[in-house]
Amino acid sequence: MKKFISIIIVSILLSACGRFGNKEADGKKDQRIVCLSKHLTEMVFALGKGHDLVAVDLSSTYPDSAKLLKTVGYHRALSPEAIISMEPDLVIHSNDIGPENVLPQITKAGLNIKAFGGANTIDSAKLLLAELGKFFGIEKNADSIIQNMEAGIAKAQDTMQAMNIHDSLRVMIIHFGLRNNNYFVMSGRNGVGDKMLRLAGAKPALYDGKGAREMSAEAVALANPDVIVATDFGYDRMGSMDKFISAVPGIALTNAGKNKRIVRFEEHDLIYFGPRTGENIIKLVHLLYPNNNAKAQ
Amino acid sequence: MLRHNKFFFPALIALLVIVLLWGIAFGSVHIRLQDMFSGLKHAFNGQDPANIHEAVFIQLRLPRVILCGITGAILAVSGVLMQGLFRNPIVEPGLIGTSAGAGLGASVVFVLAPGFSPAVKEWAGTLLTPILAFIGAMASTIIVYSIARNAKRISIMSLLLVGIAMNAVCLSGINFLAYTARDSQARSITFWNMGNFSGASWLQVVVVGIAAAVVFIISFNYSKQLNTLLLGEEEATYLGVDPNKLKRNILLLNTIMVSVATAFVGVIAFMGLIVPHMLRLMIGSDNKRLLPASMLLGSALLICADTFGRLVLAPAEVSVGIITSLIGAPIFIILLKRFNLLQHKGGYNA
Amino acid sequence: MLKTENISFSIDKKQILKNVSASFQPGEFNMVLGPNGSGKSSFLKIFSGEINKFDGSVFYDDKRIKEIKKEELAKKRAVMSQQPELSFPLLVEEVVMMGRYPHFSFSPNKKDIAVCNEVIDKMNLSSFKERNYLTLSGGEKQRVQFARVLSQIWEQPETGYRYLFLDEPLNSLDISYQHEFLQEAATLAKHNTVLIAIMHDINLAAQYADKLFFLKEGELVKYGTPYDVLTPDLIKHVFNVNAAIINNPVTGKPLVIYN
Repeated sequence: MKKFISIIIVSILLSACGRFGNKEADGKKDQRIVCLSKHLTEMVFALGKGHDLVAVDLSSTYPDSAKLLKTVGYHRALSPEAIISMEPDLVIHSNDIGPENVLPQITKAGLNIKAFGGANTIDSAKLLLAELGKFFGIEKNADSIIQNMEAGIAKAQDTMQAMNIHDSLRVMIIHFGLRNNNYFVMSGRNGVGDKMLRLAGAKPALYDGKGAREMSAEAVALANPDVIVATDFGYDRMGSMDKFISAVPGIALTNAGKNKRIVRFEEHDLIYFGPRTGENIIKLVHLLYPNNNAKAQ
Repeated sequence: MLRHNKFFFPALIALLVIVLLWGIAFGSVHIRLQDMFSGLKHAFNGQDPANIHEAVFIQLRLPRVILCGITGAILAVSGVLMQGLFRNPIVEPGLIGTSAGAGLGASVVFVLAPGFSPAVKEWAGTLLTPILAFIGAMASTIIVYSIARNAKRISIMSLLLVGIAMNAVCLSGINFLAYTARDSQARSITFWNMGNFSGASWLQVVVVGIAAAVVFIISFNYSKQLNTLLLGEEEATYLGVDPNKLKRNILLLNTIMVSVATAFVGVIAFMGLIVPHMLRLMIGSDNKRLLPASMLLGSALLICADTFGRLVLAPAEVSVGIITSLIGAPIFIILLKRFNLLQHKGGYNA
Repeated sequence: MLKTENISFSIDKKQILKNVSASFQPGEFNMVLGPNGSGKSSFLKIFSGEINKFDGSVFYDDKRIKEIKKEELAKKRAVMSQQPELSFPLLVEEVVMMGRYPHFSFSPNKKDIAVCNEVIDKMNLSSFKERNYLTLSGGEKQRVQFARVLSQIWEQPETGYRYLFLDEPLNSLDISYQHEFLQEAATLAKHNTVLIAIMHDINLAAQYADKLFFLKEGELVKYGTPYDVLTPDLIKHVFNVNAAIINNPVTGKPLVIYN
């Protein structure tokens, strides 16, 4: 049974992202970089070093040009040879690659590997950008990005003020996990999603799934969110809001389901902080509170 | 008849060598012949690999392909042994719950090892996973065996059904552990559970290789006795064999080697079905020939499956367990049909 | 000779055999008869060594069976049981060769191969030699099993006897083969062999046996030559059926006629 599920996963991977067949882009590179972390990929592109990337992991989906790169697989299911076959001068990751044997194996094989931190808070994202800038010797780029990021966040805060939000909505983020092939509730764990919601003037709906992998329809109904944010893949899988409400367990019983408040949001805009955080917050606010008049734009 | 053909074994050996070279040379990184030679030279001289290709060859590719071959041999030989023991051609470690039990044991290590006492971990070292895998495999095999053997004629259906039940129990156990595990551990389990050689290391090659060598040598010596078991336990007794002792010994050896292999590479099913079935069609059921032939063909086939899995979606890899299931499941169904059709005539017809 | 002394045997509190004492001489065709459930098969399994938890003793010549090593016993004692279970494809010659297993350790030598060929010839199986056992008819399979059993004890041991036990050997044979079989076995018995067969058909038994042994409900009720023991009272007592005994005009042996 498990084997057949795995086959389905493989086919989904194949069809959803036929990136295994991508060709390497031509062009001069300063160094060949393989990046195994989605937020690092975005930051490398933002810093202007995107042309040095030769391959990324499967979850690196921003910017769009990242999707055109060759991929070495899902970051939790890598094979050392795949990485080595890219002939990288540098491999960067954020300490969440698996299985455990891969890192020691590529280290032993003599690859140049550098680990960077995560981007789970605004501050850590800024620090990370600075670190990357220093590492690549492009502090100037890094500084300007950080400034833009801060400006964007400030603008978001202004927008929030202007919108005069009184009753913050209870919001739940629902994500489709490829690993387990099911929907699960991403909010309520105090992660980046929750922080983004708060920054957008909403409250993460109180969901007590007790750390479970799968959604409990009852817990969802109990939490009763006013709005549900569905990440891109999960939303597109259903195809339409109505389908989503009827097919995903528990949704129909919630305020969000009854009032047809399911909004689609790109996963990569919601799970780490980075250069576009400001714009992402504004996007989220408008989606959550479409009726509140915003004076600032 | 092929069984008397003196070129049969040389042909099998040649096949294995060709497949071995193919598997070593091809993959997401292509290893050229000269890299192989220089890599080996440096390794034997105790030097570090000179370039990345040699490093991949010596550290990643070679141990992987060798481990794959040994595992294929183990699974195929295990199929032959179990079929002789249970006296029917549709048993193998995957279907009977041996592999799943080993998987459960190993999953316990993955998830609960942080909770074990340091003394235990110190003492067991790398062998902690295989030891627990062995316990799991032994437990499930014994349970299936005792339940199924109470009939005078071991009915295939009851055996398969109990095996299915045991598989279900073990897999739910594994799923439960994955469920309660912290993230990274859980991912270890699902990933590993599909059969995976990418973590192969020389240490694993040595451990699994030794287990395999010991078990093979002992089982090959039992060929004659295993043959008599085909006639029935009573007949075997009349021919001077102690069937209970033989069964206990073979079961034990078999479980050891399957659990050691499964501990490191995960659950791979159907090899013990495909290989003996193909060979019986060609050379019959005499264990003196069937056991060594299964060793060779099992090696070659699994290396093929793994190499194919590495090439078809390169640079990503398709788990070898998926490939063996894709090929093995239809063969299993064909075997079932054959056996059912022949129930009236009372036997398995090659 | 083979001697059993006070054999008692039970399974799950049910007594199968009660104090069975008998001796079987070499050179004679001994046959054990009795209704279903009389303990015939268990008796055979006990004196052939398959069952070893029983009360009483079994002697092969003067040695207790428990003191004889299994491998040694297998070189001089062969048993053809009722339902051989082979369900894997094996060539006829491979099955016959299994009879020689007690005699070699890894590979058969020239003698083993010669014995097999002789036996295969004798049983008219030469044209079947390379056939798949599973494709044979019931009767043909029986002959192959007998060939195997014969090859096991083909050579006469230097000292002592060889022992051949047959458990209802005629079950799937054609009538012509039944007689051929019994004649073959009888000839074998003459050469230093203790031959014991469990039979169902009293008349065939009467025709070929030198000694008959009757079991009823686990007890040995009568034994002796067919002339001595076959009486209507005995038949009634053991088989609960009315019968008359006359002299078979063709064979000169007793003939049982049922009412």
